[in-house]
Order: sequence, then structure tokens, then C-alpha cells
Amino acid sequence: MRVRVENVRFHYRLGEPVLKGVTLDFEGEATAIIGQNGAGKSTLVRLINGLLKPVSGEVRVGDWNTGDFSVARLARRVGLVFQNPNDQVFKSVVRDEVMFGPKNLGMSGDTALASSREALADVGLEGAMDANPYDLSLAERKLVSIASVVAMNTDVVIFDEPTIAQDYAGVQRIGTLIEKLKARGKLIIAITHDMDFVAEIFPRAVVLRRGEVIIDGSTREVFSRPDLLRDSFVEPPHATQLGQALGLSETVLSVDEAVKGIKGHRSRLGGLAGSDTAHDQQFFQ
Amino acid sequence: MRTISLYVEKESFIHGLDPVTKLWLTASLLIIPFIVGNIESTLVCLGINLALLSVARVIRRIFSILAMSLVLIITLFIIQGMFYGGNRTEAFALGSLVFYREGLRYATLLTLRFFNIISASMVLILTTRPSDLIESLVRRGLSPRIGYVLASVLQIIPMMISNTSTIMDAQRSRGMETEGRLVTRMKAYLPLMAPLVMSSLVATQERAMALEVRAFGARNPKTFLHEEIISRHALPIRVLTSLGLVAAVIWRVIL
Ligand SMILES: Nc1ncnc2c1ncn2[C@@H]1O[C@H](COP(=O)(O)OP(=O)(O)OP(=O)(O)O)[C@@H](O)[C@H]1O
Ligand SMILES: [Mg+2]
Repeated sequence: MRVRVENVRFHYRLGEPVLKGVTLDFEGEATAIIGQNGAGKSTLVRLINGLLKPVSGEVRVGDWNTGDFSVARLARRVGLVFQNPNDQVFKSVVRDEVMFGPKNLGMSGDTALASSREALADVGLEGAMDANPYDLSLAERKLVSIASVVAMNTDVVIFDEPTIAQDYAGVQRIGTLIEKLKARGKLIIAITHDMDFVAEIFPRAVVLRRGEVIIDGSTREVFSRPDLLRDSFVEPPHATQLGQALGLSETVLSVDEAVKGIKGHRSRLGGLAGSDTAHDQQFFQ
Repeated sequence: MRTISLYVEKESFIHGLDPVTKLWLTASLLIIPFIVGNIESTLVCLGINLALLSVARVIRRIFSILAMSLVLIITLFIIQGMFYGGNRTEAFALGSLVFYREGLRYATLLTLRFFNIISASMVLILTTRPSDLIESLVRRGLSPRIGYVLASVLQIIPMMISNTSTIMDAQRSRGMETEGRLVTRMKAYLPLMAPLVMSSLVATQERAMALEVRAFGARNPKTFLHEEIISRHALPIRVLTSLGLVAAVIWRVIL
């Protein structure tokens, strides 16, 4: 499914524009939306799922113009995981919470249950089916809220800060889940402040600053513009910064890439201790 | 933090009065007509209240409230005009419907009282931040705990309203139909009540703990962040209102 945002302007209060003519085209790839607090990221995704309607311009989800459809109808195509799970979770049993969306979309009880079970397993909460969400930790409630949107099996899945409150294992699990959804051909959009997560999972990144798109491109391209990023208070992953500080010609996105880059760089410089593996190992430990 | 409040931010000598003086003023202007009991005293108090509201430049706010009560007032005149117990003297007749002077007079009194109550309360409400009023009362011996409870009630309600709409948004995003017939909408709202109340309780408890770790419960006397400024108009106003009250009581007892 393709999502097109065309020259969208939006404000909550007259005279305080939040989005100032945003144009974006999403198709196929997984995209990260980054930018400082208040840049308009959550507003943008609420426009995509129809909770907000553009003041001018239009948002199309497939062949649907969001202005012509109720949020409940649009939910057939777009799933949105809210930033704060406490705004979303409202049933007293995890199972009901996760099955709520699928049932609203008209899935039969069995299909809804199977889909919910799978989504909960994906976030590592298969054991919590009968728990009360209020007894879970914030991190777990966030995972429940993710599962309850993923279970709807929509073509577009949007995450507002999926890794909030998660420990390393939680972040990894969410990463794996997003990879799985990508493999199934879902369109993924995620807002996040976690740049390592962006570098690892998302091939494309969009940087918003005060309601405008300032960079839109492959994640590697985006992170190779530290000048623009600094302006919008975005800090590239540490590996990338290290690579830039060392003057590597390519932008690197991970520790592995940085290591390869540095090795390549050293051997190109010819010798020094390029072949001295003992020294290398000491250096990289 | 948003609170429930009709406070209108303006510069005026009414705004500058301390809340307790305003409370005193409002209470007297509200009570005097009831003590005296006639139309004239009600008219005088209403006049003073309207004058105060225009000095505070908030008088336009009360017109809408008064306009909204128009239906009520018309009903009052029709019913009292025709059926008031003391009706004797015919005022006029519309076909077979006879209206009496006594009833119309009584309806006028009730209407004026109603206007007076509204405008007197608005003198206080439109020109005073609820938190300032609470703080003033705490200075004068109201327990800070009760002050806190009052202030949080004012804050929790708007919080619940905004939470309701966010929770509704989240459920609409998961395909819940919230538009359409009343039944559909009721069905949508009801299940959300539990988490709302729940999250408000949790929030209240967390705030209480946050206060406690900052020694809210400590026994030593508390100080205040703001100096209380008593305007030079405060004393004359208190004296005048007290005199007015005394005069009203004397009027009532003697006449
Ligand atoms: N319901 C609302 N009413 C009025 N203003 C709002 C509302 N929601 C957001 N805003 C304002 O719109 C601007 C953009 O908010 P938005 O939530 O889209 O930012 P964001 O990029 O998601 O930030 P964050 O990283 O903090 O989540 C902010 O200035 C915010 O104060
Ligand atoms: Mg946000």
C-alpha cells in the first residue's frame, strides 16, 4: 500500500502552524521519522491515520483520501501504536485488549484469537494473555499496545516511539517484529529518538524540524549530513560519529561497519601497522 | 497545568484585590437582598455587581449566561403571573389567560435575585484564579491538605476530559465506531470509564507521593512562594460591605 502526504498544512490553534506544507511519499520501505520534541511527528502520523484532517493539502492511503473516511474505516488500512500505552490500553485482560482491534475489523473470534496470540508471541508476552494490563510494567504495557495494533494485520503499521521504556531485549524484540512485518510487505513508519534503532532497522529516514521536512532519504544519506542534523538536535549513532570524526570516506551505520571502514582506511594508508594483527586486536578491544 | 476556571486575565482594580476581600464582597452583595427581601435592595446590589463587572472589563461574559437563562425566566413569568398564590389584582389578559400583578412582581423579584446571584458570583469567579483563592484561604488557616484537595479537583476534571478524548482516539484508531446513533456512542464511551477513573486515581496517588517526598506533610509552618499583596482598596471595601450587611440586618429587624 502506498501512503502519500501532499503539501499538508496543519495547525491546532490558528496562527500556530504545526505542519507547514509537508510532502512525503511512502511505498514499500520502512521509514523512520525523526526530529526534536514538538517538531510535529505525532501530528503527522495522526494525519495519516485520519485522527486529524489536513487544514490544506491531502493525505491518501492507497486510493482513499483520509478526508472522506472515518477513523474507524481507515483503521482497516492503517494501524497506529500510540506514544503512551496508557492512552490506548483499556481492557482489564490482555487477551481482550489485543483482540479488540481485530474484532472491530470484523475478524471472526478464532482468527482474532490466533492473530492476537501470534502478535503477543512476537513481543514476547505469550504468557501474559490472562494478565491484567494494569499489573504489567510500563514497558510491558507498551508491548501489549504494539501487539494489539499488529494483531489487526493492517497494510500500514505506524509506531509512535516503539522503543520507549524498553530495555535492550525489548528493543531487539521490537526490531525483529518490524523486520518480520517488512518481510510480509507491510508499510512501516516509526517515530523514534533512538538513532541506533533507526540505523539498524530503517532503510529510509525523514527528518522533521518545526513542521518542515528538512531531509528525506536513505538513512545513510541522512546520517551523512551532521550539519543539518545538528540544527534539528538529532545526534547520529555513535559509530557514525566516530567514522565521521576519523574522516572515513563512507558514512558507517554500525560498529561492524565502522570497524571495516577503519581497517580499510588503514590498509589504504599503506602499512603503518596494517598487517600487524596482534596490534589490531589490541586496538579494537 | 490546566484547571477548570472562568478566570479572565485583565488589569483592573477588581483583579488587583486580594481574593478574600472579593469573597467578602461577593458574599455580602449576594446575601443583602435576601436579608432585606425587597425588589429595591436587589436592584441596588445587582447594579453594584454590574458596575464592578464593567470596571473589571468582564461584563460581556455574563450576558451569554443571562441570555441562556431567558427561557427559564419567561417560563417563570408565565407561571407566576397566572398561578402565584397571592394573585389578586388583574394586570392584563391575553384572551382567556389572565396575568396578575402580584405574580408578575414576584417573578420580577425572583429574576432579579437570580441575576444578582449570577453577577455577584461572577465578580469573584471571572476575576480570581482559583489557585489564588485557595492560597489566600490557606494563609488564613485553611488546612493545606484541604487546599490541595480543592486545587486537585479543579485540575483532575480537565485532565479527565483530555484523557477521555485521547483514549477515544486510540480506540477509534483500532476500528471502534464512535460516530452515529446515540446508542453506538454510549456503547463506545462506557467501557472507557473504568480506565479513566483508574488512571486518574493512579495519577492522584502519584502526585500525593510526589508531594510527600517534598515534605508536604512536614509539621512546621509553611511559607508561601508569593507575597500576598493587599491592595489599598481592600480595607475601605471590607468596611463598606460590613456596614452594608449591618444596615441590612438593622433594616430587617426594625422595619
Ligand atoms: N492537541 C493539541 N492541541 C494543541 N497543540 C498541540 C496538540 N498536540 C500537539 N500540539 C502542539 O503541536 C506541536 C507538535 O506536536 P507533536 O506532538 O506533533 O510533536 P512531536 O514531534 O510528536 O514531539 P515529541 O517528540 O515530543 O513527541 C507542539 O508544539 C505541540 O505543543
Ligand atoms: Mg510525539
